[in-house]
Amino acid sequence: MKMKIQKRKKFKGRKSKLIMVNVLSKEIETYEKNKQRLLKESFGKFVLIKGEEIINVFDTSSDAIKVGIDKFGNTPFLVKQILEIEPTQNFTSNLIRISTCLQ
Amino acid sequence: MPSVTIPSEDLEKEGPIIEVHFLISLELEKKYLEEKKPLPEPVIIKALIDTGASACVLKKEIPEKLGLTPIGTTKICTPSTKDHECYQYFMRMVIPVQQLVYEGIFISAPLDGQEINCLIGRDVLKNGILIYIGYTNQFTFSLL
Repeated sequence: MKMKIQKRKKFKGRKSKLIMVNVLSKEIETYEKNKQRLLKESFGKFVLIKGEEIINVFDTSSDAIKVGIDKFGNTPFLVKQILEIEPTQNFTSNLIRISTCLQ
Repeated sequence: MPSVTIPSEDLEKEGPIIEVHFLISLELEKKYLEEKKPLPEPVIIKALIDTGASACVLKKEIPEKLGLTPIGTTKICTPSTKDHECYQYFMRMVIPVQQLVYEGIFISAPLDGQEINCLIGRDVLKNGILIYIGYTNQFTFSLL
Protein backbone atom coordinates (compact mmCIF):
# COMPACT_ATOMS: atom_id res chain seq x y z
CA MET A 1 0.00 0.00 0.00
CA LYS A 2 1.13 3.52 -0.63
CA MET A 3 2.54 5.46 2.26
CA LYS A 4 1.31 8.94 2.73
CA ILE A 5 4.13 11.25 1.80
CA GLN A 6 4.08 14.82 2.88
CA LYS A 7 6.30 16.88 0.64
CA ARG A 8 7.64 19.98 2.26
CA LYS A 9 8.47 22.40 -0.52
CA LYS A 10 11.36 24.73 -0.01
CA PHE A 11 12.52 27.77 -1.82
CA LYS A 12 13.92 27.72 -5.38
CA GLY A 13 17.12 25.79 -5.82
CA ARG A 14 16.87 24.07 -2.46
CA LYS A 15 16.17 20.40 -2.07
CA SER A 16 12.68 19.39 -1.04
CA LYS A 17 12.40 17.31 2.11
CA LEU A 18 10.31 14.16 2.19
CA ILE A 19 8.68 13.19 5.44
CA MET A 20 7.45 9.61 5.64
CA VAL A 21 4.25 9.01 7.55
CA ASN A 22 3.91 5.51 8.93
CA VAL A 23 0.30 4.30 8.64
CA LEU A 24 0.82 2.43 11.91
CA SER A 25 2.30 5.39 13.79
CA LYS A 26 -0.69 5.73 16.13
CA GLU A 27 -0.61 2.01 17.00
CA ILE A 28 3.17 2.12 17.55
CA GLU A 29 2.73 5.14 19.83
CA THR A 30 0.07 3.23 21.80
CA TYR A 31 2.44 0.27 22.13
CA GLU A 32 5.30 2.45 23.34
CA LYS A 33 3.04 4.18 25.90
CA ASN A 34 1.96 0.81 27.34
CA LYS A 35 5.17 -1.15 26.80
CA GLN A 36 6.34 -1.34 30.42
CA ARG A 37 2.99 -2.58 31.66
CA LEU A 38 2.73 -5.10 28.79
CA LEU A 39 6.26 -6.35 29.51
CA LYS A 40 5.34 -6.99 33.16
CA GLU A 41 2.01 -8.65 32.41
CA SER A 42 2.48 -10.43 29.08
CA PHE A 43 6.17 -10.76 28.20
CA GLY A 44 6.71 -12.75 24.98
CA LYS A 45 3.05 -12.72 23.97
CA PHE A 46 1.51 -10.88 21.02
CA VAL A 47 -0.53 -7.73 21.42
CA LEU A 48 -3.20 -6.54 19.00
CA ILE A 49 -3.58 -2.75 18.81
CA LYS A 50 -5.95 -0.61 16.76
CA GLY A 51 -5.44 3.14 17.03
CA GLU A 52 -5.19 4.03 20.71
CA GLU A 53 -6.87 0.83 21.88
CA ILE A 54 -5.18 -2.34 23.06
CA ILE A 55 -7.62 -5.02 21.88
CA ASN A 56 -6.09 -8.09 23.56
CA VAL A 57 -2.99 -10.17 24.12
CA PHE A 58 -2.53 -13.58 22.42
CA ASP A 59 -0.18 -16.56 22.64
CA THR A 60 0.61 -16.59 18.91
CA SER A 61 0.91 -13.95 16.20
CA SER A 62 -1.51 -15.79 13.90
CA ASP A 63 -4.21 -15.78 16.62
CA ALA A 64 -3.76 -12.02 17.03
CA ILE A 65 -3.80 -11.41 13.25
CA LYS A 66 -6.92 -13.54 12.74
CA VAL A 67 -8.81 -11.63 15.44
CA GLY A 68 -7.55 -8.38 13.89
CA ILE A 69 -8.86 -9.36 10.45
CA ASP A 70 -12.15 -10.54 11.93
CA LYS A 71 -12.67 -7.26 13.82
CA PHE A 72 -11.16 -4.71 11.46
CA GLY A 73 -11.03 -6.40 8.05
CA ASN A 74 -8.46 -5.04 5.63
CA THR A 75 -7.53 -1.91 7.58
CA PRO A 76 -4.19 -1.27 9.27
CA PHE A 77 -3.75 -2.71 12.75
CA LEU A 78 -0.65 -3.63 14.71
CA VAL A 79 0.36 -7.07 15.94
CA LYS A 80 3.57 -6.97 17.95
CA GLN A 81 5.46 -9.41 20.13
CA ILE A 82 5.98 -7.94 23.58
CA LEU A 83 9.75 -7.93 24.04
CA GLU A 84 12.25 -5.67 25.77
CA ILE A 85 14.49 -5.48 22.70
CA GLU A 86 12.92 -5.74 19.28
CA PRO A 87 14.54 -8.47 17.16
CA THR A 88 15.80 -7.62 13.66
CA GLN A 89 15.50 -9.80 10.57
CA ASN A 90 18.79 -10.55 8.84
CA PHE A 91 19.47 -10.87 5.13
CA THR A 92 22.78 -11.80 3.56
CA SER A 93 21.48 -11.15 0.04
CA ASN A 94 22.40 -7.93 -1.70
CA LEU A 95 19.16 -8.08 -3.72
CA ILE A 96 17.47 -5.88 -1.14
CA ARG A 97 17.97 -2.28 -2.14
CA ILE A 98 17.37 0.03 0.75
CA SER A 99 16.48 3.63 0.36
CA THR A 100 13.61 3.43 2.74
CA CYS A 101 11.25 0.51 3.29
CA LEU A 102 8.30 2.41 4.69
CA GLN A 103 6.97 3.61 1.37
CA MET B 1 4.16 -34.35 2.91
CA PRO B 2 3.85 -33.08 -0.70
CA SER B 3 6.99 -31.92 -2.45
CA VAL B 4 8.08 -30.34 -5.72
CA THR B 5 11.26 -31.07 -7.64
CA ILE B 6 12.34 -28.20 -9.87
CA PRO B 7 14.95 -28.61 -12.60
CA SER B 8 17.14 -25.61 -13.44
CA GLU B 9 19.26 -24.80 -16.47
CA ASP B 10 22.05 -23.57 -14.25
CA LEU B 11 21.31 -24.00 -10.56
CA GLU B 12 24.70 -22.63 -9.51
CA LYS B 13 24.11 -19.36 -11.37
CA GLU B 14 20.38 -18.87 -10.79
CA GLY B 15 19.85 -20.44 -7.39
CA PRO B 16 16.70 -22.31 -6.33
CA ILE B 17 14.00 -20.23 -8.06
CA ILE B 18 10.35 -21.25 -7.90
CA GLU B 19 7.08 -19.84 -9.22
CA VAL B 20 4.68 -18.87 -6.44
CA HIS B 21 1.21 -17.35 -6.27
CA PHE B 22 0.39 -14.73 -3.65
CA LEU B 23 -3.16 -14.40 -2.38
CA ILE B 24 -4.95 -12.72 0.49
CA SER B 25 -5.15 -14.80 3.68
CA LEU B 26 -7.94 -17.34 4.15
CA GLU B 27 -9.33 -15.27 7.03
CA LEU B 28 -9.56 -12.15 4.87
CA GLU B 29 -10.98 -14.17 1.96
CA LYS B 30 -13.74 -15.42 4.30
CA LYS B 31 -14.43 -11.83 5.36
CA TYR B 32 -14.58 -10.64 1.73
CA LEU B 33 -16.98 -13.45 0.80
CA GLU B 34 -19.24 -12.55 3.75
CA GLU B 35 -19.21 -8.92 2.65
CA LYS B 36 -19.65 -9.95 -1.02
CA LYS B 37 -16.50 -8.10 -2.00
CA PRO B 38 -14.62 -9.29 -5.09
CA LEU B 39 -11.50 -11.33 -4.39
CA PRO B 40 -8.26 -9.96 -5.85
CA GLU B 41 -6.53 -12.04 -8.52
CA PRO B 42 -3.46 -13.96 -7.34
CA VAL B 43 -0.12 -12.30 -8.01
CA ILE B 44 2.21 -14.72 -9.80
CA ILE B 45 5.93 -14.15 -9.33
CA LYS B 46 9.29 -15.88 -9.11
CA ALA B 47 10.83 -16.41 -5.68
CA LEU B 48 14.31 -17.42 -4.60
CA ILE B 49 14.67 -19.85 -1.72
CA ASP B 50 17.31 -18.11 0.39
CA THR B 51 18.81 -19.79 3.44
CA GLY B 52 20.58 -16.48 4.16
CA ALA B 53 17.25 -14.76 4.85
CA SER B 54 15.87 -15.11 8.35
CA ALA B 55 12.38 -14.25 7.09
CA CYS B 56 10.45 -13.88 3.84
CA VAL B 57 10.72 -10.60 2.02
CA LEU B 58 8.87 -9.50 -1.09
CA LYS B 59 8.54 -6.49 -3.37
CA LYS B 60 6.16 -3.87 -2.00
CA GLU B 61 4.15 -3.97 -5.24
CA ILE B 62 2.80 -7.42 -4.37
CA PRO B 63 0.76 -6.50 -1.26
CA GLU B 64 -0.21 -3.31 -3.11
CA LYS B 65 -1.64 -5.35 -6.00
CA LEU B 66 -3.65 -7.42 -3.52
CA GLY B 67 -4.86 -4.21 -1.86
CA LEU B 68 -3.53 -5.23 1.55
CA THR B 69 -2.82 -3.05 4.55
CA PRO B 70 0.11 -3.76 6.93
CA ILE B 71 -0.24 -5.64 10.22
CA GLY B 72 3.08 -4.59 11.67
CA THR B 73 6.57 -3.29 11.15
CA THR B 74 9.97 -4.87 11.65
CA LYS B 75 13.60 -3.86 11.39
CA ILE B 76 15.84 -5.48 8.81
CA CYS B 77 19.61 -5.74 8.46
CA THR B 78 21.25 -6.29 5.06
CA PRO B 79 24.92 -6.29 3.96
CA SER B 80 24.67 -2.56 3.26
CA THR B 81 22.19 -1.29 5.86
CA LYS B 82 21.17 -1.74 9.45
CA ASP B 83 17.87 -1.46 11.32
CA HIS B 84 15.66 -0.28 8.48
CA GLU B 85 12.00 -0.37 9.36
CA CYS B 86 9.70 -2.16 6.91
CA TYR B 87 6.03 -3.09 6.81
CA GLN B 88 4.79 -6.62 7.44
CA TYR B 89 1.80 -8.19 5.68
CA PHE B 90 -0.17 -11.34 6.42
CA MET B 91 -0.52 -13.28 3.17
CA ARG B 92 -0.94 -16.71 1.61
CA MET B 93 1.73 -18.14 -0.65
CA VAL B 94 0.87 -21.11 -2.87
CA ILE B 95 3.29 -23.21 -4.91
CA PRO B 96 0.87 -24.34 -7.59
CA VAL B 97 2.63 -27.49 -8.80
CA GLN B 98 1.68 -29.48 -5.71
CA GLN B 99 -0.55 -26.91 -4.00
CA LEU B 100 1.99 -26.32 -1.23
CA VAL B 101 0.53 -23.56 0.95
CA TYR B 102 2.16 -21.25 3.49
CA GLU B 103 0.23 -18.55 5.27
CA GLY B 104 2.23 -16.12 7.32
CA ILE B 105 3.99 -12.81 7.67
CA PHE B 106 5.92 -11.31 4.75
CA ILE B 107 8.17 -8.25 4.92
CA SER B 108 7.82 -5.69 2.18
CA ALA B 109 11.07 -4.20 0.87
CA PRO B 110 12.60 -3.02 -2.39
CA LEU B 111 14.20 -5.96 -4.21
CA ASP B 112 16.76 -5.24 -6.88
CA GLY B 113 16.61 -8.43 -8.95
CA GLN B 114 14.74 -7.99 -12.20
CA GLU B 115 13.35 -11.49 -12.08
CA ILE B 116 13.19 -12.24 -8.37
CA ASN B 117 10.30 -10.66 -6.52
CA CYS B 118 10.47 -12.60 -3.26
CA LEU B 119 13.01 -14.27 -1.00
CA ILE B 120 11.66 -17.33 0.78
CA GLY B 121 13.43 -17.32 4.12
CA ARG B 122 14.03 -19.58 7.07
CA ASP B 123 10.63 -18.82 8.63
CA VAL B 124 9.13 -20.90 5.80
CA LEU B 125 11.98 -23.41 5.72
CA LYS B 126 11.42 -24.25 9.40
CA ASN B 127 8.21 -25.96 8.25
CA GLY B 128 9.79 -27.84 5.38
CA ILE B 129 12.64 -29.60 3.64
CA LEU B 130 15.01 -28.22 1.01
CA ILE B 131 17.21 -30.67 -0.88
CA TYR B 132 19.75 -29.00 -3.17
CA ILE B 133 21.17 -31.46 -5.71
CA GLY B 134 23.82 -29.41 -7.45
CA TYR B 135 25.28 -32.04 -9.75
CA THR B 136 21.87 -32.77 -11.36
CA ASN B 137 20.84 -29.06 -11.46
CA GLN B 138 17.66 -29.54 -9.48
CA PHE B 139 16.25 -29.01 -6.02
CA THR B 140 13.35 -30.44 -4.05
CA PHE B 141 11.19 -28.37 -1.75
CA SER B 142 8.58 -29.62 0.62
CA LEU B 143 6.29 -28.01 3.18
CA LEU B 144 4.35 -29.49 6.09
